[in-house]
Amino acid sequence: MSGTESVAFDTPQRERRADTFAMWVFIGSEAMLFGAIFLVFLVAHIDFGPAFAAASKRLSLPLGTLNTAVLITSSFTMALAHMLALHRRWRPTIWALVATAALGVCFLIVKGIEYGKEISEGLAPLLGLPFRYAGPDPVHAEFFFGLYFTMTSLHALHLIGGIVVIAGMIALWRPSGPANRLRRVVAVGLYWHFVDIIWVFMFPVLYLINR
Amino acid sequence: MSELRKLTFGYLGLLALLALTVGSSFVALGGFNVALNLAIAAAKAILIAMLFMHLTGTLPRLAVAAAGLWLVILFGLTLIGR
Repeated sequence: MSGTESVAFDTPQRERRADTFAMWVFIGSEAMLFGAIFLVFLVAHIDFGPAFAAASKRLSLPLGTLNTAVLITSSFTMALAHMLALHRRWRPTIWALVATAALGVCFLIVKGIEYGKEISEGLAPLLGLPFRYAGPDPVHAEFFFGLYFTMTSLHALHLIGGIVVIAGMIALWRPSGPANRLRRVVAVGLYWHFVDIIWVFMFPVLYLINR
Repeated sequence: MSELRKLTFGYLGLLALLALTVGSSFVALGGFNVALNLAIAAAKAILIAMLFMHLTGTLPRLAVAAAGLWLVILFGLTLIGR
């Protein structure tokens, strides 16, 4: 029993290196997806700058800032889980993973509060909801809010995916061996940090750039 | 554990950069605001990649370089035609 999950690898170290490379390739493909959406936003911002600036000021900067801090903290606890797993301190590793997923849930709750606020103010041009915007150039402001909801909900979907994977990993914790535990923590950690990096760019682009 | 200290400093650095980026948005710097905000976001991303994601070794760096190259083509060709 060599401790690898797949028979294709001689040693756990080798399997971990293959895992890590595959995760980075996956992250690269995800960067293409988000890159294309950021590009759409950039081009629209170049064309409709003043309308986007006015619309951006309607977003809640305090809630956006809070959520950025929450997500950065979740990345920190995920990095702690990785460090603890390397030292084979499994119980604290689980707690660090639980904290990471809980902070992810906190982020989603705050995002939900923000969405609720925007919907009640008539700023959500989706699902046939009424769009009531009193500022200048409402047509392009509607475009801004369309992009805002597309970008943030795509990001939220990625976060939900990460939370589900962490929950699954904890559920399967007992039957998996030490090498597999470490592999999984490393892989889900890379994904989690990437989703954090996406938010690190989304936050200034949506909330700050127009102030 | 020096590893723990490194992660903690990285975390505090990220929070400081967040405070800096939000604070800078209240100061009118003309067109410089956008550049500053994006530069701070890039600094945060590098901090996360190096410290939390342990971006080392040839293969991970190759994957990041490939993604970066395609993003440059995507953004470059789109903006050059405008």
